[in-house]
Amino acid sequence: MRRTLRQVSCAAALALGGAGVAHAEWSRTYVVEWYEAAMYYGADEGVIDPGTDCPAGTNGEPDWTKVMLEAGYSAQETRWLLDPTHPFRPEGHSTSGQNQMAFRGKDRANVYSQPWLAPDPVLTGVSGSIGEGFDLDGDPDNGFTSPDGSMSGIDNQFYRTLGCWLTYRGPHRQSQHALSKNDEMREGAWTVAIVVSGEGDDPLNDDNVRIGFYNSEDALVKDGNGDIARDYTFVIAPDQRFEAIFDARTVNGVIETTRPADEVWLREASYVRELQLLEAQVRLEMKPDGTLSGHVGGYRPWFDIYKGWIDARGAVIEKLTWIELPGVYYALERNADFSPDGAGGEKTHISFAMRLDAAPAFVMTPGAAELATEVVSYKSIAPPPGKRHRAIPGPLGDRVVDGIVLTKDGVLLGGPEAEIPPPEAESQIASLRE
Amino acid sequence: MKVRVGAAATVALASLTAVACSLQAGQQASVAPDPPETALVSDPEAEVRYVDPGYAAFGDQHLTTVGVRRLTESQYRNTIADVFGPDITINARFEPERREDGLQAIGNVRLSVSTTGLEQYFSVARSIADQVMADERRERIIGCQPASVDDRACAESFIKSRGMHLFSRPLTDGEIDARLAIWSEGAQQKGDFHEGLKLALVSLLVDPEFLFRKEYAEADPADPDAHRMSGYTKAARLSFMLWDTAPDAELLEAAQSGAIHSSEGLAGQVDRLLASDRLEQGARAFFTDMLHFDKYETLTKDPGTYPKFSQAVADSSREETLRFLVDHLIAQDRDYRDIFTSRDTILNRSLAAVYQIPYPSTEDWARYTFPEDSDRSGVLTQVSFLSLFSHPASSSPTVRGVKLHEIFMCLPTPEPPADVDFSKVQALENGTVRERLDHMTNPGCNTCHAISDPAGLSLEHFDGLGQTRRLENGQPIDVSAKIGDLEFSGAPGLGQYLRGSPLVTSCIVRNVHYYGAGRPFDYKDAAYLAEKGEAFASGGYRMTELYRSILTDPDFYQVIIPDGAGPDDGDAQALSDKPATTGAGQ
Repeated sequence: MRRTLRQVSCAAALALGGAGVAHAEWSRTYVVEWYEAAMYYGADEGVIDPGTDCPAGTNGEPDWTKVMLEAGYSAQETRWLLDPTHPFRPEGHSTSGQNQMAFRGKDRANVYSQPWLAPDPVLTGVSGSIGEGFDLDGDPDNGFTSPDGSMSGIDNQFYRTLGCWLTYRGPHRQSQHALSKNDEMREGAWTVAIVVSGEGDDPLNDDNVRIGFYNSEDALVKDGNGDIARDYTFVIAPDQRFEAIFDARTVNGVIETTRPADEVWLREASYVRELQLLEAQVRLEMKPDGTLSGHVGGYRPWFDIYKGWIDARGAVIEKLTWIELPGVYYALERNADFSPDGAGGEKTHISFAMRLDAAPAFVMTPGAAELATEVVSYKSIAPPPGKRHRAIPGPLGDRVVDGIVLTKDGVLLGGPEAEIPPPEAESQIASLRE
Repeated sequence: MKVRVGAAATVALASLTAVACSLQAGQQASVAPDPPETALVSDPEAEVRYVDPGYAAFGDQHLTTVGVRRLTESQYRNTIADVFGPDITINARFEPERREDGLQAIGNVRLSVSTTGLEQYFSVARSIADQVMADERRERIIGCQPASVDDRACAESFIKSRGMHLFSRPLTDGEIDARLAIWSEGAQQKGDFHEGLKLALVSLLVDPEFLFRKEYAEADPADPDAHRMSGYTKAARLSFMLWDTAPDAELLEAAQSGAIHSSEGLAGQVDRLLASDRLEQGARAFFTDMLHFDKYETLTKDPGTYPKFSQAVADSSREETLRFLVDHLIAQDRDYRDIFTSRDTILNRSLAAVYQIPYPSTEDWARYTFPEDSDRSGVLTQVSFLSLFSHPASSSPTVRGVKLHEIFMCLPTPEPPADVDFSKVQALENGTVRERLDHMTNPGCNTCHAISDPAGLSLEHFDGLGQTRRLENGQPIDVSAKIGDLEFSGAPGLGQYLRGSPLVTSCIVRNVHYYGAGRPFDYKDAAYLAEKGEAFASGGYRMTELYRSILTDPDFYQVIIPDGAGPDDGDAQALSDKPATTGAGQ
C-alpha cells in the first residue's frame, strides 16, 4: 500500500515539480514479489506427507527401469542408460538429464514431443474437495470448496490434475517449483507493477475500482532478510502484451473483479513466464501492513503447460521432479474444462488459479514522468511487438529441441537409432573421469 | 634471476621497513639529508639502513625532510590511474588509516607499514607491473619502442618519466641507476626487455619515496639562515590537496622552473587546479576524511530492525553525501553553511526507498528536493550521517550529538567513563530514547551530554537507518532541544543553529588547512586561522575561495625543521621552536 491519492499527489507534486495529474480519488501501488500456482496443501507439515489433498502423499518417483524395459530397451541397455556415469548428455549437464530417456515411445519415438506415442501412466491427481481459486463457470455445485468454506464451485482443474506432483506440492511459498522460479524473478528476470485506483471515498469499500498489472524494466530489490524490499520505485514500461486491466470493486479491502476479463496476459513464475488467461478474475486483499495478497485465475491453455515442462529439458524434469511427462500430457488433456469456441468446442484450456503476493512500491508512469495514480492502458504507446516484445528464453534458449538438450554445436547425443552403449562411450567416459 | 630480483626486493623492503620504523616514533623528520652515492645502501651493523637519496640530480641543494605521510588508498589509486591509465585495476585491501585530531590526513603522518601491508604493496606492485607491461598497453605507456633487449635509453626514459610522476619529483642518478641495474639483469636473464622493466617498475612502486609523501625543506635563496618548502613539495601539496593525486606535468614543471615559488606562479597553479574538473576528486577525498567515511568499513545494521539496509544502500548513502557536497560547494559554489539547511539532494533508487519517496527518474542518480514538511535539513539528515552514527538496531542521540560536534564544530568529546550503565538506554522496547537517557540528570554525565544530547535528540525523527518516523514504541517523539539559551525543534532547527554557529565555519577552515598541511592543530596557528575565517566569511563562505585563500598563503607552506635534522643543526634547532616562514614569493 502506498497511500491515498491526495497523499500521493502531494508527494508527487513535490517530487516531480508539480507534474502530478490525477483523476481517480485514491490509488495504491505495489510490485509483485511472489507467484505460485494455487495448490492447496492438505497435509499438516513437510512437503510430501499424505494429506486431504493427496491421501497417498506426493506422487513417488517412477520406476524408471520398468519404464525403459516396457519401452523396449533391453535390461543391459536400461542399466547402462540409468547409470548416471553413462550419459548421452551435453556439456554442463553431467549430473542429470539423459537425452535417450526421450526415445521411449512407439518405435522409440520422442515421447516429449509426441506423448501420445507413449502409454498413459495415469498420473495420480488431487482427490480432496478443498481448493483455491474462482468459480469460473458460475456453477456452485461443480468444483472445490475454499479452505475457509465460504466459497464453493471453485474451478481449478490445474490443481486437480497436478496437485500431487512433487514440484508443485507444499505449503504456501514452500513448493520446489515456486521457490526456484520466484527466485528468478527476484533476481531480476522480470517485474510486474500493480496500480489500484478507485472513484469512491473509501478505498476499502468502493464499487468503482480498477486494477492494472504492468510490465516494468526495474528489477526487484531484496532487503536484508532476503524479502523484496518495500518502497522501491518501478517505472511502467509499456508492453503490448503484458498489461492486464480489470474492472473491480473493493469489499472490506478485498479487490474483486466485477466482470471477468476476456483475455489477459500475465507473468507466471514458471519455466514459461508468459501466462494467457481467459475469463480472468482477481481476488486480492489490500492488507493493513501495506501488502497485497490473493489470487488471480482464469482458463489457461493446457498444452502450453505441458510444452513448458518439456522445454525445460524433459529428462531433467522427469528425474528431478519424479514425473513421467507423458502422464502430464494425458492428465491435462483429460481434465481440461474450457473451450474458447463454446461448449461444443475442443477444450484447449484448463481452469487455473495462482496465488500472488505484492509489496508496497512506488509506481511511475512511463518515463518516470509522474506517479501512476490511475489505472489506464499504455498499450498505445508501447513499442511494436516485433521490436520490443520478446519471449523470455528458457535457461538453455534454443538449445532445447523437443525436450532434448543439444550440444553447443547443435548435435543430438542419442536418438531413436542410437547404439547403446555408444561406440564412443568408453572414450567419453574416460574423458569425463579425467 | 630469482636471486637478483629477491635481492632487489629485499633491499627495497628493508628501506621501506626502515622508514616505517622511523615513522612509528612519530617523527616528522627522520632521515639524513646528505645525498648518497647510491640510493639503497647496506649497513653492516643493521644489515640495511635507509639513506635519504637527496636531490643529487639537482646540484648541491641540501634538503631536509620535514614531513612524511603514507599515501592514502585513494591517492595511491588515483596516482596509478594518472601515471599508467585508468584501466589498470588494483585489487587490494589497504591497511587502515589513522585518525588524529579529527582527520586521517593528520593521523597518517604517524602511520607505518606492517609486514602484511608490505606484502600487499609488493603484490599490488607486481600486478600493476604485469598490467603495464601487457602487450596491449606497454607501447603506449613506455613511450618508446625498444630496439633490442638491452635498449638502455628506452629503459632509462621510462624509469625517469614514470618515476618522476610516482615520486612527485625527478629521480636522483642513484635511484635511476638502481632501477637500470634491476632492469638490465632481469632483461638479460629473461631475454626480454619488458620483463626487466617490469622488475624495475615493481622496485619503484614499493619504494618509500612513492608509498610515503615526503616533504622537504631547502635553504631559502633569499635568506641563507632560513628554509623554505621545496618546489616539488609545494607542487605535491597542491595536487594531493585539490586533486587527491600526484602532481601533473605542469605542476612538476612549475616546481622545476621555480615558478611555484613566486606569488604569481603559485596563484596561477592554484587557479588552474581549482578550475579543473578534477577538483571534485580532491573535494571528495577531503570530505571522505572529514566526515569519517572510513566508518563505512564497519557499518552494519540489524536486518530485523532495518531490513532495507544493504551494502547497496550503504554505498549509495556515502555517494549521495559526496555528490551533494561536491555539487553544492564546488559545482554551484554555494555557501558552506547551507549544507545544514538545504533540502536539496542527489539520490538514487535505493536511497529513495529508504527515504520512502518515489524515485523520479530513469537515470541512475537524480536531483531531489525534500518537501518542507519532511524534516530533512541538509547533510545531517542524509542517510550517511544518520546511519553511520547510530547503533546497529537503534538510533543514538548521544553518538549523533558527539559526532556532530566533533566533525562539524571541531569539538571532540572525551571518552565516556568505564563504569557507565547502558542497560536503561539499551532497553529499546521502552518508550522513547529521550526517556531512556537518564544521564542528562546525572551530574557526572551531564557535563558532556548536556552538549551532545540535545543536538542528537533533535534528530530523533530519523531512525538508525535514517528513515522518517514520528513514534517510538507507540510514543510521540519529542525533538525539541535547548543548547545554551537557544531553543529549537527538530532537524530544521538544528540546521539553522549550525548554520549560524561560528564554530562551524571556523571548523571547516581549520579542517581544510590541516588536511593539506598534514599536522595537528597548533594554538600558535590561532591568529592565522582566525584571519582565514574572516576571509572565508567575507568571501561568502565559498569553499573554492577558502581553498584559494589557504593555498596561496605563504603560511600554508611554512616548514618546521625538526630537532637534529637539516644541513645545519644549529639553524634547524633554532627553527624547530618557531615556524620558519619563508614560502612563496619571498
